[in-house]
Order: sequence, then structure tokens, then C-alpha cells
Amino acid sequence: MLGSAASRRRRFCAPFIIDRTGAHGKSAPRVSANAGSAHRIHIGAIVLQWLAVESLAATPQFAAQLPALAAELAEIVGADAIVARASELAVYECDGWTIAKRAPDLLVLPRTTAHVSAVLAALERRGVAFVPRGAGTGLSGGCLPLNAPVMVCTSRMNHVVAYDLANRRIEVESGVVNINVTNAVKAADYFYAPDPSSQAACTIGGNIAENSGGPHTLKYGVTTNHVLGVELVLAGGEVVELGGPADERLGYDLLGAVVGAEGTCGIVTRATLRLLREPQAHRTLLGIFADVERATAAVTAIIAAGIIPAAIEMMDQLIIRAVEAAFKVGFPADAGAVLIVEIDGLEAGLGERARRIARIATDAGAVEVKLARDEAERALLWKARKRAFGAVGRLAPNYATQDGVVPRTRLPDILRVITMLSRHYNLAIGNVFHAGDGNIHPIVLYDERDPDQVRRAIEVGREILKACVEMGGSLTGEHGIGVEKQQEMPLLFAPEDLIVMSELRRVFDPAGHANPNKVIPQPGGCVEVAAPRRQAPL
Amino acid sequence: MSDVQVDKLENEIRKLLGAEGVRQPRGREAMAARIIAEPRDSDEIAALVRQCEAGPTTLAPLGAARTLGEIRRAPAMLGVSLARMDRIVAYEPEDLTVIAEAGMTLGALNQRLAEHGQRLPLDPCNPGATTLGALIGASQAGPLRLSEGTPRDLLIGVRFVGHEGRTVHGGGRVVKNVAGYDLMKVMTGSFGTLGIITEAAFKLRPIPEGYTLGLAPFARAAEGFDTALKLHDALPLVHVEVLSPALAARFGHPGAFLLLAAIAGNAVELEDQRGYFSGLAGASFSDGAGAVETYERLRDLELAPTAGLASTSMMTAQLATAPAELARCVEDTGAQFRAHAACGIAQIFIGGELDSATARETLARWRIAAHAAHGHLRLLAAAPGLRPHLDFFDEPPAGALKLMRRLKAAFDPAGVFNPGCFVGGI
Repeated sequence: MLGSAASRRRRFCAPFIIDRTGAHGKSAPRVSANAGSAHRIHIGAIVLQWLAVESLAATPQFAAQLPALAAELAEIVGADAIVARASELAVYECDGWTIAKRAPDLLVLPRTTAHVSAVLAALERRGVAFVPRGAGTGLSGGCLPLNAPVMVCTSRMNHVVAYDLANRRIEVESGVVNINVTNAVKAADYFYAPDPSSQAACTIGGNIAENSGGPHTLKYGVTTNHVLGVELVLAGGEVVELGGPADERLGYDLLGAVVGAEGTCGIVTRATLRLLREPQAHRTLLGIFADVERATAAVTAIIAAGIIPAAIEMMDQLIIRAVEAAFKVGFPADAGAVLIVEIDGLEAGLGERARRIARIATDAGAVEVKLARDEAERALLWKARKRAFGAVGRLAPNYATQDGVVPRTRLPDILRVITMLSRHYNLAIGNVFHAGDGNIHPIVLYDERDPDQVRRAIEVGREILKACVEMGGSLTGEHGIGVEKQQEMPLLFAPEDLIVMSELRRVFDPAGHANPNKVIPQPGGCVEVAAPRRQAPL
Repeated sequence: MSDVQVDKLENEIRKLLGAEGVRQPRGREAMAARIIAEPRDSDEIAALVRQCEAGPTTLAPLGAARTLGEIRRAPAMLGVSLARMDRIVAYEPEDLTVIAEAGMTLGALNQRLAEHGQRLPLDPCNPGATTLGALIGASQAGPLRLSEGTPRDLLIGVRFVGHEGRTVHGGGRVVKNVAGYDLMKVMTGSFGTLGIITEAAFKLRPIPEGYTLGLAPFARAAEGFDTALKLHDALPLVHVEVLSPALAARFGHPGAFLLLAAIAGNAVELEDQRGYFSGLAGASFSDGAGAVETYERLRDLELAPTAGLASTSMMTAQLATAPAELARCVEDTGAQFRAHAACGIAQIFIGGELDSATARETLARWRIAAHAAHGHLRLLAAAPGLRPHLDFFDEPPAGALKLMRRLKAAFDPAGVFNPGCFVGGI
């Protein structure tokens, strides 16, 4: 064992320090507990307290056994599947949540379930924790190595195993990239529904860990609605099959517990996914509004009319301008908000439904409603939407994408709060989000070279989340809790809830070696779960 | 449990909940529990749980006694009825979500939602006698599961009373939410073995503008299933069912395997889709109130007559396979059936007097058929006289079962929540 539980806990309580001695230009501050005296910045927010966890490599016991461990793992996966050099490990120092960074001490790139199983067995024998990683596109720091020196990356397990169109199922290794699932069956007119914006890069294993969504989940549901079974390797190496070919569980729905558990139950190595028939036709409408109030009113009116589109996406003025500059979609520069509404189904009924939506949007105050004339126009609209985050990169050196949820009818309220907070913290915030689900994505623009801006960016995110919860919403719709939102969990959950969730996690991972220190604020650490008792809103 | 112990328990519950909070079981409830408690709120349930854990006394959520009453070999000591916890907690039609207490029936809930053109699109048999707690606890669904999913797809928040009487909640009232572990999935289909569900939040769907039901008889089961899958491939069906002759007779098609497929949408869509159906020999259609009436009879089909407490005369099971395997699997069982044909789910049954040896042999044959199709089977109901001889659940694979036992031990360390009638004897 690498030190007693008590000594590990003490490390959690070390003060949080960001070492900027190595920070030049746009490179990010590094987190370390041993930053020395030069240029220490105490980020006041407890948000990042977990990063005070000292790298295990820094402990003499672990540093001493690292070469032996690397050799043992190389025996299992081959030397070409181990990364131990610091310069190469730096690539893995963060996911899409870039506020904090730390590279693992060792990276393993297994090719098979047997590899994963043997690797986890070897780690268990040494009492070493691990962090799973897919493509690293997560947005909440879910694969940041905290007290888990070994990272197991599934990117080489990227084969489609088999598909069975008669049963609308496909079996894939967990490192398969999301878009490649649909690509494998597109010719036969089938598709895999969850379509996160990162779908060209993110892996199915990562999607399962985060229970990822995407624009089209309004109609089709999120990842958990489309996973029929998984092969899961538990810490210690045992391989278990959960779920199966039938659309009905035998016993407890453990599969449902694993999806969205952020890699804390073990490593998913294979998954059987549900495929859907490609709809006969689509109609994609673009609604242009003078302001977000009218756009959100249109969203509510469409849903209230009994129409469930495949997607309803909104962008506000700041995003519209960034997107227009990047992609020349033809959005009017003075538009206050645009809605992209997509409906799909039988060709026969779509025309009438599209006209109804256009009428509703016009009644709600749309300046103009346009129908995408062809597939190229539709593709351009979606490109603009899905790459909106990238387009924002033009506006500021850094941006933090928040993810919160409110009941759909509270969208105007939360957008007002965001506007107010933007002024108060003096940071520009753009909004591009899944309006149909009430799932907001405020994008906070900042410059990480200015520590005060970093602090304000973190605080404004926290304030937005608080407001979401106060409106009966949630801390995250699709990005996960990860490291980023652990401290906010008590806003949403009472201590009993968190205790029971911890118990659920321990069912899979009694020793806590699978992606430790994520999701739930740990009792016994600096961050107690003992928030004032309140009846959390269901 | 002796009568003296039952009297003692009744007195203890009376002290906790008052005289109106305790009663004797009525009718089929007698197979579910010896004494029934009717708490008013989750604090009273918490008090009951603490009392039972101190006993220890086994307790089980009662629902409307339809599920547990059909599968328990011996009654639990205390049945917890949520009949007095049957209110809507919050309903915001424009959000398409609702929160309700678990004692409310699905039928009552859907009546309220229909006022706003909405529904919770889960349709197990007899929604008027299915509480939301039972709907979730036994993961019940009906024909609409093809287009709308099952409780796990629609449950977005849950509150339950568990070990030490602690009230626990997971999820919330928003339709998209990945904060924390998914306790909704854990509670769905847990058959009361982890706690008593007190409150549930669901996402809702609009009631479609129009609904057209097509019926088509077939001489052979395989033709019916084959057509069902072809239609499913061509159209966004609302549901597609295949009934064996014993059930087809109730829809005026004795001796046939009957396909019942439905489409929904606006007038243009319905007209367009009917074209696909009209190629089917002998097909007939209904729209409007007539179609809805037929659908409700389909939903509420009683597969085998309800057995009296001393009866040994029926057995009903549910098969789950990959959809394309279902036809062969059902035929292999040789049983009468009602199939959610494109979902890979069928309920099969045998009626008439059965001795225990025949029941065992029949069930073994059904299981062989299910496993040959890489599926599984669970008994939904069996006459009480047969139950001691039958295993209600298949055994999950060893690795999964080990995790399930750990889950049970973690959530119910005192072992009082509906023990002994779930998978692996949990």
C-alpha cells in the first residue's frame, strides 16, 4: 500500500497552490503541492482544493517502485504501449477542462480486454489507483489523475466488433470514436443517436462514463438510453458482463449505475449499443430573434404545442458573431438570438409540422424563420452549432464552458441571471445551448495569464450553477461532475444522498482505486459533505 | 410468524401511525403481507423502517398488491401501502415533467396529464391498479415501450426511504441531468429490495394528434413476427404486437395469430403510413375513439385468469431476447403468448389445472427456449400452490450476481426489505 489512508487524507488537506514558475505566454498554470516559494497563487475557491493532492510519484515509496511497475505493465501490454517520459505524459495532463492540469506518472495503452484486466490486477497487487481515459474531450476534469498515478487510455481499443442490423445493435470496443459508430452503419440507413459536439473525437467509453448527450437527445435520449450492455473490468481485473442483448434487465440495473459513473466503477472495455433507423427526412429551421427572451418563448411555445423536435438549439449574440466570423453561415450580425430547430420523421408530415413551427416562432416574435433548403445548408447550420465552442476561441485567449440545467420554462430567468453575473464579474459570457432540454452552456471568456480573471471565471461558473439549482435545475446536464463540480454537489444533494451514492460506488470498487476523488466530495477530507440539511428539489 | 407475533406487530404499528395507519390485508394482499401499514408521509415510513430493522421484521412496498401478491411464496410480515401518499407534488405542463407521490396510480396520473394533452407513456396492464411505486419497482411497461421506452427511460428523479429510515434522493426534475450516481436506474426493477420509493419525477410526452390501429391475422406465428419486424423497419410505429390464437379470439380473430400495429401523427402522416399497411392481406383499420378502445383492451389483456389463493391453475412468464430471436423463442416454448414483437419481449402463459411436476417441466422448457435465444425469463405470476416449486428469476451471470449481492448488502444491511424473492434469492 502506498501510505496509510490517514496519510493520504492529510495530503488532501495541503493548501492549494498554483505554480506559475514554469508558465510562459499562454501556457497554463501548473498545479503542485510543492511549488516552492516563487510566485504562489492561492486560488481562494475551494473548487480546486482536490488538486492539492500530492503526486504519488513525489512520495519516495512510489517513486521507488515506479520503474518496476512500468516494467511489469510493459510485460503485459508491450513496451510500445507504455508512456513514462514526462515530455510525452504532458499531453495527458488535462481534458477539455483546462483550469487545472497534472500529468499521470505512467500511461498505459492496452489493446484488449485481457490487457486491461491484467493491468488492473497488477495495479491492485501494488495498491495503485488508476484513472481511465478515452479521448480526453471531457469537460469536467473527469480524467485528471488525482491520487491515481496510472492512466489507462482506451484509444487503441478502437474496433467495431460486430453489428446486427436485424436487432439494431452494434458491439464496439470502448475506444471507438462516437462518429465511427454511425459511420459503420450509415450506408444501411441506421445511426447511433447520442451526438455530443465532440463526436468526431470522443470515444464511446468516455460517453458511457459521462452519460453524454448532444443536440439530438431532446427526442432520442442520452447515452444511458442507448447502451444495452457493457463489458466492465473492475479494479483488481475481474471482467463482468452487465446488461445483454435483451432490452430488459435481469436483476438490478447495474448497467444503469455504471453509465454516468465517470469511470469510478471500473473500465468499460466493450459496449453493445442500440442503433436507430435513419428517419426518412429532416427539416431544419433557423429562427432569428431580436433577443433571447423571445427565442426562449418560442421554445416553450413549440413544446407546449405538443411538438417534440429532434433538436432545439439556441445561440446568443456573442456566439452568433463568433460563429459568423468563423463559418459565414449568414446569421444577421445584429440578431440577438438564433434558434436551430430540427424535426425528423416521415417525409409526408414534415412540411406541415415545419410550417406550424414557423408560425409559432413568428407569433413568439421571430424576425425571420428560414428553412434549410438542402442538405448542404442543413450541414452548415449544424457545423456552426457544433463548432461554436471553437469559434469562441477567436474572442479570448481562454474560455470555460459551463454546463447547467434548468426547467425549460426557467430559461429566460437563468439567462437574465447570467447577463447580470457577466456584468458583475466583468467577464464576457456567451450562450450556446440545448434549449429544448433546458441545458445551458454559458461560455465564460477569460485570460488565464491574469490570475484575477481565472478566479472570477471560476466564481462566476459557481454562481451560475447555484442559480440553476435554485431554479429547480441541476449542476450538469451532460458534462459530469468530475473535479470541477464536486464542491457544488451539496447544493443539490443532502448528506444522506451522497453517502448512499458512495455506497453504490463501493459496490463496484470497494478499495476506491477506480478514478478516485471524483464526483463525490470525500468525507474525511477537507471538503465535508455535511452541508446544512435541506430537502433537495426533486 | 405466529398470530401472536402478528398481533404484536399490529400493535406496534398502531402506536407509530395511529389506528388509521394499520389494517388487515384484503383479498390478494394476503399473499403479499400479513399486516398492512398505511403511512401518510415519508417520516412515517422512516419510523416503520427503523421499527422493522430493530425487529427484525421484513417489510415490502405493497403497490396495489398486484406484483408481490403474484410472486411471493410467503407473505412479508409488513406490507407498506402508499394509498395515502397519492398526490401530484409538482406539475408544470410547459416543462413536460411531473413529480408525484409513489402511491398515486398511473391511471390517475394520466387522467390529470391528459387535461394538458400530455401523458406518461408507460402502459402496463391495468394502469388504474398500478401505483407509480410498483411501476418503477417492477419496471413495468406495455405496448408503447417500442416508441416511448420503459420506466428507466422516463424516470428522471426518485426519492426513497432506505436503511435506518434515511430519505434518499437521486436525479431531479429536469430532463437532462448527470449530477451524481444514477439512483433511478438502481431503484427501477429492484422489487422493493432496496427501500420504499416515495416520490418519483418523470419526463412526459405529448399525446399524439392522431392514432391509427391496424389489425392483420396470420396463419402462422412466424409470418406475424416477420411482418411486425418489416413494418418496424419501414415506419416509426407506436407499437407492434403479435397475439397467439387464444388472445386473438378476444379481438374477433379466433384461430389466427393477430398483428396489431399502430401509427401516430398528424392527418397527413397517418394517411401516408396507411398505404404501407394496406398491402397486408385481411388488414383492417380503426381511428379515433374506436382505435383507442381497442388499444386499451390490448393493453389490459388479462393473460390468464387470476387465480384464487388456493389455486394451482396458471403460470405466466416474460421472455426477453434480441428482437429477431423472439419468434423462434416463443414458438419453442409452445405457449400462448402476447408479444411486444419488435422489442424482443413476450408474455407467455399456460392456463388450466397444473400439478407441480408439470409446472416445473413447463417452466424448464420455457427457460431452455429463452436461453437458446440468448435471452432470459422471469415468472410474472404463478398460482400460489405452485410457487414453492418454481424459481421466479433466472440467475444472472456470476460476476454480475456478486455485485448485486453487494448492492443489496450495502443498501439493506439489516436484510429487511422484501427479502428472498428477487434474483439469486436476494
